[in-house]
Amino acid sequence: MAVFQAALINEIEKLYKKKKAVVAILLSLAVIVIGQLAIVGVRSGFGLRGAGSVEFPMLVLAVVVNIILPLFTALVAIDSFSGEFSQNSMRITLTRPVSRFKIFSAKITAIVLFTLATLLLLLIFSMLAGFIFNTNSGTLDSFARTVLSYLVSVLPLVVLALGIVLLANLFKSGISVFFVSILVFIVLKVLGVVFSQYSSLLMTSQLDWYNLFLVNSFPLGKIVRQFFLMLGSGIMLFIAGFYFFDKKEF
Amino acid sequence: MEKVIEIKNLTKLYKNGRGIKDINLDIFQGDIFGFLGPNGAGKTTAMKIMTGLVRPQSGDVNILGYSVTEEYENAMEKVGCLIEIAEAYPYLSAFDNLKQLARYYPNVDHQRIDEVLEITGMSKYKDEKPTKFSLGMKQRLGLAAAVLSRPKVVILDEPLNGLDVEGMIAIRKIILHLAETEQTTFFISSHLIHDVELTCNRIGVIYNGEMLNVETTQTILSNYATLENYFVSEVEQYGRVSSCAD
Repeated sequence: MAVFQAALINEIEKLYKKKKAVVAILLSLAVIVIGQLAIVGVRSGFGLRGAGSVEFPMLVLAVVVNIILPLFTALVAIDSFSGEFSQNSMRITLTRPVSRFKIFSAKITAIVLFTLATLLLLLIFSMLAGFIFNTNSGTLDSFARTVLSYLVSVLPLVVLALGIVLLANLFKSGISVFFVSILVFIVLKVLGVVFSQYSSLLMTSQLDWYNLFLVNSFPLGKIVRQFFLMLGSGIMLFIAGFYFFDKKEF
Repeated sequence: MEKVIEIKNLTKLYKNGRGIKDINLDIFQGDIFGFLGPNGAGKTTAMKIMTGLVRPQSGDVNILGYSVTEEYENAMEKVGCLIEIAEAYPYLSAFDNLKQLARYYPNVDHQRIDEVLEITGMSKYKDEKPTKFSLGMKQRLGLAAAVLSRPKVVILDEPLNGLDVEGMIAIRKIILHLAETEQTTFFISSHLIHDVELTCNRIGVIYNGEMLNVETTQTILSNYATLENYFVSEVEQYGRVSSCAD
């Protein structure tokens, strides 16, 4: 466990010192500013309400979870694997007394923590913006559901990151991984629209699963089914990614 | 004497036909083993397998009794290495680069990091990032990383690459000092025959992926004027044997 802990601290330090992750978080927060400005503009220009204090964070989540966070998660995941493959800096860690499984797991955990930290920061700042600038329309129940929606959104993003990590271990260049990831993402989004009855199976549609937690009847069956679907695909992608990482020669 | 590294029937052949074939080698405690061979002979391949960067097709390497392929963490616990070019994270300072590695060893603290930076002459650059380092400075940092954990075994692939004369002498002194005071075992590959002659006490010649001979430097120099003469003689002998076999 101490070895894994060391590997994880190293990965987090690298993420922080590379500043890419910090910039990604700052850009995500910029969405709140832009979103809030748009709502204030709509309100003063057209006299429309725009969004209430609790609705605003959900509006932010809808944008962030479908566009911005997948993009930044991809960038961080690609940098963590393809970036180190191309610079040969993966050797620095690989020649230390730490197994490849622990290195791989530490990298994945660091990506998960990055995604979670971004979501939590977005939640805090969007709520603050919502309460400061918008009409107060929230109840304790809607507040709890908002927090839950942000927290559960980490799961589909992790599955997405695992898919990108698998691609990073299959392709040599980081740019190829990035473009293939975008292409696959678009194809899955289109498939989700065309075959809407099967969309719950696609990881791009699963990004919106937080909506299940907003339904008043709380569809437990659907939530459990979606959870196991994501868990299953996550496990498969993790194993496949590790298989190729373990076979890699440096 | 205690066997520190045991290479058994090690084979790894690449698609282009290069690699290593059925290599057997024993390295004992306190050895400064020189791994000599021309470019493409298989030195780096063997060393990459020894450090887990590449998997062998057959055979195994045991370091301090642990198999590199089966018990990697235990095998590498007391090993320091530098394979090909010394790599460092460009966005971290020299000190932070070593701090990353230090986390894997409970007995390595900041004082030890400063100590190895001092030994390798990198103290004054400790807060600088490696992007501005010359090849020699990167190599020194790589060496600092290799000896950071006070390892019992140090595997160095062309450690003198990019070093000036002063640097070469300094590194040679470090190697000899560690071998003498801490009984550190060194496995060094180099194409600089003269330097191998001055540093190593046992020498193995690899050619065309095959291990030709292993001999002590003392025995070699009692039979040949220089190590270079011995190397040429071994290679020529191999050439005659393989052409007869053809």
